[in-house]
Amino acid sequence: MMTPEALDVFSDEEKDILQEIMNIAFGNATADLADVVDIYVKLSVPSVQVIGIGDLPEYLKTTIKTDGTSNIIEQKFWGNFKGSGLLVFPGGTERDLMAILEDQDREEVASTQMATLEKGGLLEIGNILIGACVGKVSELLDTFVTYSPPQVLQGDTHNCNFIVEQFDPSQTAIVMKTLFTFKEKDINGFLLILTNHESIGWLRKALKNFMDSYE
Amino acid sequence: MIVSQIFDMLDAGIVILDRDLVVFKWNRWMSTHSKISSEEIVGKPLFEFYPELNKSWFLRNCKSVLTFGNFAFISQKLHKYCFPFKSYYNTLGYRFDYMQQSCTVGPLRDENNEITYIYITVQDVTEIVAYEQKLIEMNIKDGLTGVYNRRFFEPRLEEEFQRHRRYNRALSLIMLDIDHFKRINDNYGHQAGDFILKALTALVEKKIRIVDIFARYGGEEFCCLLPETSIDSAKVVAENIRKQVQDELFQFKDMEIKLTVSQGVAALSKDIENAESLLKKADDALYSAKNTGRNKVVTAK
Repeated sequence: MMTPEALDVFSDEEKDILQEIMNIAFGNATADLADVVDIYVKLSVPSVQVIGIGDLPEYLKTTIKTDGTSNIIEQKFWGNFKGSGLLVFPGGTERDLMAILEDQDREEVASTQMATLEKGGLLEIGNILIGACVGKVSELLDTFVTYSPPQVLQGDTHNCNFIVEQFDPSQTAIVMKTLFTFKEKDINGFLLILTNHESIGWLRKALKNFMDSYE
Repeated sequence: MIVSQIFDMLDAGIVILDRDLVVFKWNRWMSTHSKISSEEIVGKPLFEFYPELNKSWFLRNCKSVLTFGNFAFISQKLHKYCFPFKSYYNTLGYRFDYMQQSCTVGPLRDENNEITYIYITVQDVTEIVAYEQKLIEMNIKDGLTGVYNRRFFEPRLEEEFQRHRRYNRALSLIMLDIDHFKRINDNYGHQAGDFILKALTALVEKKIRIVDIFARYGGEEFCCLLPETSIDSAKVVAENIRKQVQDELFQFKDMEIKLTVSQGVAALSKDIENAESLLKKADDALYSAKNTGRNKVVTAK
């Protein structure tokens, strides 16, 4: 999966630090999601991979079921740390996800079609989860990012290509993957954070600063 | 500063709140539409003026922005509006009680990168929503009669067919055709023909339930799908329509027009395998009604 150049982008030590940052960031995100917005989610220890852009479509195709049975929420973020967050839920979990938002005061939109509501719910969950995770990583790297509005992608190959298209094919992507489970609701999904090559130089510097602050 | 002048001139609402959701800035657009001046509201909690915003979804969005520094997008589709501003305009025949809004909430940082404030931008999307509704309506409704069109009907027939078969429920279909419609056009003119189509659909709509799906299938041919309805009940409905049409004197300008309709009724049964066959069965029954004297209801065997 990893091309030789891709592997060279980070030293082993840098990869360890990146992994460590993800662990801390996602831990913080979990805690804050529960404390602040009452969303109780369990995030697994994230895995960090460096993948050549050429291999990304294949990676996405095998990681995300692109047969139309997944709900994918995509959100771009901008800043020194720049890329896309992808939140993937199995299809058919929309209603349970809506229940997580538990809005008793939503009856005013009861007449809206369920499909619209479900899509809105997906977007809201996506916006919060991607925002929490990317936000916490940025915070640890002492920077901040801005976001584009999230969008729901139907899980077909065409749409995955669209994600890949924003990357320069000669470059590399860092893919951070974490599995998550909502407490009390049997919904499993995963979050991918993809950042492009431009971020790597900056990320390396930020990693060094992070490391230095502990020395 | 030059940039700060935009704040009041922009044709959109901007509100800045501190971490306790006390209003810090309220731009002129907000004053104009809320009828609350900046002097009145600045320094006071937002919920004092808008208690209806003190709800979990709004708080969740604000807290998430304050904690994670992300953005929250409060879509019109989900919430219709954030701030209840009266809407006075009539766009494309649609009246909205309140201005439809699309809002964004985002973080504002101080020189230490700490989030000290959040902003809310408010965009008036009433006109876009009206266009969207119009577009949806045009897509699913027949322009002349205002009943559903064939494009809308066919997938609904398929859906209802699957659903009723799965739960083993009764489902009936009436096909209706105006007898000798060509003669009406020839004798009274096409305007009269159009009038008859409109008058007939209005008459039928009064005879059916809200859950029934009535559509213009072709020129003077109509379909009515009756969920949870046995063939006997459907036949009663069709007979009612037949009698009412036969007794009605349609008046167009100074012309008095009489007409009759033929109908075919079919219901879901074990031997019908798909929605298309159900439609075919009703159509065959209609054909037989036409061939055996018109102005009658024929039930498919």
